[in-house]
Formats: sequence, structure tokens, C-alpha cells
Amino acid sequence: MAITGNLETFNFVDIFQILKKDKKDGILVIETNNKNFAVYFKNGDLVYIREVPKVFYVYLDIDFKDVMKKEGLSGKDDIYRALVARLPVLLSLKKGKFSFTPGFIRYSDDIEPFIPLEKIIMFLSRHLTKEEVERKISDIRLVFEKTEDWEDLAKRANLNDTEKKVLNLINGERTVENIKDELGIDLLTLEKILYGFLAAGIIRRKRHKKRKLGFDLTKGLLSKIIEKIKGL
Amino acid sequence: MFLKEKDKGKKAIKIVVAGPYAAGKTQFINTISEIETVKTEAKTTTEDEKKVKHHTTVAMDFGRIAIDDKHVLYLFGTPGQSRFDFMWDILGKGMVGLVVLVDSTDPSTFHEARKIINYFETRYPVPYVVGANKQDLKGAWSPEDIRISLDLDDDVKVLPLVAKDKNSVKKVLLELLEEINKVLEGQ
Repeated sequence: MAITGNLETFNFVDIFQILKKDKKDGILVIETNNKNFAVYFKNGDLVYIREVPKVFYVYLDIDFKDVMKKEGLSGKDDIYRALVARLPVLLSLKKGKFSFTPGFIRYSDDIEPFIPLEKIIMFLSRHLTKEEVERKISDIRLVFEKTEDWEDLAKRANLNDTEKKVLNLINGERTVENIKDELGIDLLTLEKILYGFLAAGIIRRKRHKKRKLGFDLTKGLLSKIIEKIKGL
Repeated sequence: MFLKEKDKGKKAIKIVVAGPYAAGKTQFINTISEIETVKTEAKTTTEDEKKVKHHTTVAMDFGRIAIDDKHVLYLFGTPGQSRFDFMWDILGKGMVGLVVLVDSTDPSTFHEARKIINYFETRYPVPYVVGANKQDLKGAWSPEDIRISLDLDDDVKVLPLVAKDKNSVKKVLLELLEEINKVLEGQ
């Protein structure tokens, strides 16, 4: 199935969130007016960024060794140098089409990501606009809780002091507004942090243990409704 | 005010169908309703909206399914455009369940779907399911990828949907009713 869209309405944080959560292998292709990038992912982490003159070049290589050969990379140090040189260029893109092709590329076991994707997600989240953060943090009444593996993910994300303070206050009880008031930070900063935490998988929306029905429904009446729908 | 003459004296059970603009809410209700869906449509005004469709829901749509002599099930469709979001509160009161629809081929609307879920979750924590509509179209995102994109946990059902297909709509409603049953059983 497709993972395609436009960077103007679906930014890198959102894309990386999906690739990370599912630990996807594959190639993310970014097409802009004057540049095309192929971003290689292994187990949901970013391995390499390649600039290609035409998109179809990406699909000529099914083994990462061939990519290395064409890019003139002789080892891990070369991969790292090229990656850190191209990463800021890639992440600065705000316009363009993206599409992710799952699988396709084969990696040898020694190819490992250099930069945890959680760290990149948090870095990008610090630069989001008000309009962007409202996509996820649209209500100051929202309550978040930590996920099961939040400690590992937070370590990988390389949080700054303010982010650590916010994380300490997330307990499944405090609302966004409570955290803002307790820390005395501005709402936009807090929203950016929460956006990053959500995308990095450090927190999630609090699960409602008890859901409520707005009508006094009985099991007998529910059975009738079910039978009626089945018979339509 | 919305009840038909023959429904007077009957208890109305309400399910709300919400979702971003052009997610397929009116179609969903049309497909399953026993009556012709009552629509409150107006012509789309902006150029962007006109590219997608010519008419849009401004207050609500509603469809009806008779259950027995005393009860009738209403499906209320919310307006998709955020300028009509005051209707969400009106429609949310008293509902037993919520279906949130998303257009699987248009990731630019996923953010709006998330906002809608945030809105209802903080005010009316009823059982809900997500219908990943337009799964029959090219470029549709998988329900699993949509789940991650909407920040939803594994326990929220994100179901493949083709709102034009009656069986597909029935399946989504039955899954919602199963979630409602879990609440009645105290799970």
C-alpha cells in the first residue's frame, strides 16, 4: 500500500513517525522542483541519503552495496560523512512530493544507522510552526501518558533540559494546560515538545479506561440493533 | 426537531459519523440508511473545495434505521469543514458511538481527522472506530499506516472501508457495536 503525499501538508516528522513505528525497510523518495533525494531506511532508521538526477535511478539498485559503489563510498566513515552533509539539506525541504517504497533494497548486516531517528524527530519538532503543532496537539485538555519503552526512546532522542522537565510531568493525569502552568513555559514550546514525543513514540494519548455511552442502552437492545444491521 | 412524524414517541439512539472534508460521511450514511439521507448541503465556496466536490454538508446529514416499535437508530453526519465545528458539540451529546472516517488517499486530511478524534475524546469518550475510506482507489494508505499517522493505539480499530459498498459499511458499524458491547459488559 502507498505512503505518498506532499511535504507541505505532511512533514518529515509525520513521515518518520510512520517509518519508525513499523520499523520499515525501504526507500523514501523526495521529489522537488530541482532536486530528487532517495532516503534509505533500515528497521525504521535512516541509513543514507542519496541525491539522484532522475527518480528512476533509485530503482536500478536493489543492493545497498551497489549504491555504495555508485556513490564512491568505501566504508562506514564515508557513509557517515555523506549522510551528515546531506541531512540538513534534506530536512530543510518544505515543499515536494514524497513516496515510500517498502523493502526493495537489500542491506548487509554491517550496515547500521548512525543517528537514531528519534533524535532527528526531536530536532525537527523544535522547529515546527504553530500551524503544524496544532495538527497533533489541538486541544489543551489532552492528557498524555508514557509508553512502555519511553526510557529507551527518550535516551535515543537526546532530550534537552526543558524536554526532560516536560517528560517528568507526563503522568496520564496532567493536561497540556496543567503542564504549561506548572512549568511556566509558553504553549508553543510545550506543543512542539509534545509533538516530538508523540512522533518519537515516547508518549501517547491517554487511554480511556472507562468509556461512557450517552444513552441508556441495554444488552437486549444492542442485540436487536446488531441483528438489524446484519439484516440490512 | 429532526424526528419524522412516525418516529414521535420512539427513543432515538444516536451514532455520529465524523471526519474531515470529503472523507465520505454523507455517502456512508446514504449507503446504509433506510430513508433517503436528510442533507443540509450548500454549494462549496472556495476554489479548493470546488475542486473536490460541488456541495458540502453545513449542519448535518442524518439517516435512519428502525430497530423496533420503540427505538430508532439515527446516524448523524457532522460537517467536515472546521468552520462548522460548533455542530460537533451539538451532535456529540447523547451519542452511543462514533465513526471517524478518513480519506485514505489524501494524507493532507489526516491531521484534521486527528483533531476531530482529539475533540471528541476529550469531551465525549464514547466507543469509536476509524473507517479508512476509499480503499478501492489507487494511492490509498493502509489502515495500519493511517493508525500510526493518527497517533492511535493498537486497541482502536482502524478498518478498511469503501463507503459506497453496503457490506463494507455494515462491517464498520458492526465493529463499532462490538466496541459498545464491550462497554456494556464492563470491559
